[in-house]
Amino acid sequence: MIYFDNGATTFPKPLSVRRAVAYAMQNAGANPGRSGHSLSLRASQLIYDCRENAARLLGVPSPENIIFTLNCTTALNTVIHGVLKKGDHAVISSLEHNAVLRPLEAMKQQGVSYSIAKVVCGDDEATLESFRRAIRGNTKLVICTGASNVFGVRLPVERLAALCRIYNILFCVDAAQMAGCVPIDMLDSGIDFLCCAGHKGLYGPMGTGILAVNTDVLPQSLIQGGTGSMSASPLQPEELPDRFESGTPNLPGIAGLNAGIKFVLSRGEDAIFREETRKARLLYDGLKRNKNITLYTERPDPAAQVPVISFNVRGHDSEETAAALNDKFGIAVRSGLHCAPLAHRHFGTEDTGTVRAVISVFTTPAQITYFLASLDKIF
Amino acid sequence: MQNIITFASMTAAMRARELLRRNRIPARMTRTPAKYRRGSCGYSLVLERDADAALKLLRQSDIRYRGVFADDDR
Repeated sequence: MIYFDNGATTFPKPLSVRRAVAYAMQNAGANPGRSGHSLSLRASQLIYDCRENAARLLGVPSPENIIFTLNCTTALNTVIHGVLKKGDHAVISSLEHNAVLRPLEAMKQQGVSYSIAKVVCGDDEATLESFRRAIRGNTKLVICTGASNVFGVRLPVERLAALCRIYNILFCVDAAQMAGCVPIDMLDSGIDFLCCAGHKGLYGPMGTGILAVNTDVLPQSLIQGGTGSMSASPLQPEELPDRFESGTPNLPGIAGLNAGIKFVLSRGEDAIFREETRKARLLYDGLKRNKNITLYTERPDPAAQVPVISFNVRGHDSEETAAALNDKFGIAVRSGLHCAPLAHRHFGTEDTGTVRAVISVFTTPAQITYFLASLDKIF
Repeated sequence: MQNIITFASMTAAMRARELLRRNRIPARMTRTPAKYRRGSCGYSLVLERDADAALKLLRQSDIRYRGVFADDDR
């Protein structure tokens, strides 16, 4: 299988990640943070190591500000449901994933409202103005994707963070397609909440995610329960990360995530981003030469995009193209709406969807050549 | 005599131990002994020396601890 579905989850994972998962299961298989015996302490150490490395990677002030979640969606829901109350308003971008849209839509029943700020591709000033216009007196939270999961378009998150500071509004970034690829420094940028998938650009196993917190204004916890701490109290602990981490954590997953983060740290996000952009340009240029292909964005530019490319074969639905790539050529891509109907509406691809090809560090030029050659003869 | 520093969370205790290790102050992690639990369970660091230098470092790094106890039972 030639794998270009790295936007859904990266594959393969580094060998170190697979080994770390196996190590945790074989050598540290006790419940972390619950008991005092050596095996439990070893498990706790694995979890803590991941917190430290994640804090280093994301520019978070303390390991305690790294919350482990099931995935990016859980992290986003923690912020959205935990921050917004009846009468509050939120602003989101026109490129958001359903992980942002659906919780906000559900919260309408609780008296929460939201507005959609139009992203103007290639014009950050105009995008900022869209957000500025959407802000109201009762706006409590601005949430935006760091980079569209369908079209790769980056949003000016640092400038949006500064805008939110001026209006005293909390700012949350959906970094699902961005973490591990685009360098992020939460402390410098002023982002309050950063939500990451652990299994995409961070190369961890599925079932891992991170909520990084850089504010004293903490959301209510979505779930409450045992944390291994302050057990005599019926109240959920206030301290991070326990406030948001009830129940037994995914130790093998987090051990794997730690190895994935170390993999990213050792290569360097800048180097990864450069390398992936170079490969994405190779793919884009080849697609551009094919007269039967429709592309929706400009040539990959690190300042404006992450290496996510959406396209269609003229006259064919995206599902049809993806099925043919799989059946005839053994190529894995994602088709349809990518759980992001807003983004497709923005680009006018709501009816057909798009075929999405996403580069990872393991994508080779030979795979790209094969991909392009397959599209030449697909129909 | 040992000194015991108690923490509200495992993560705080781990962070404290790492800070102390970097500053060459050895500390051993343990479940908080019953007599220091104050009605709650959690984790503690055991220091085989005076705790003043350790506590100063914790305060400088904004690591919150719950209590400090001189333990002469051992």
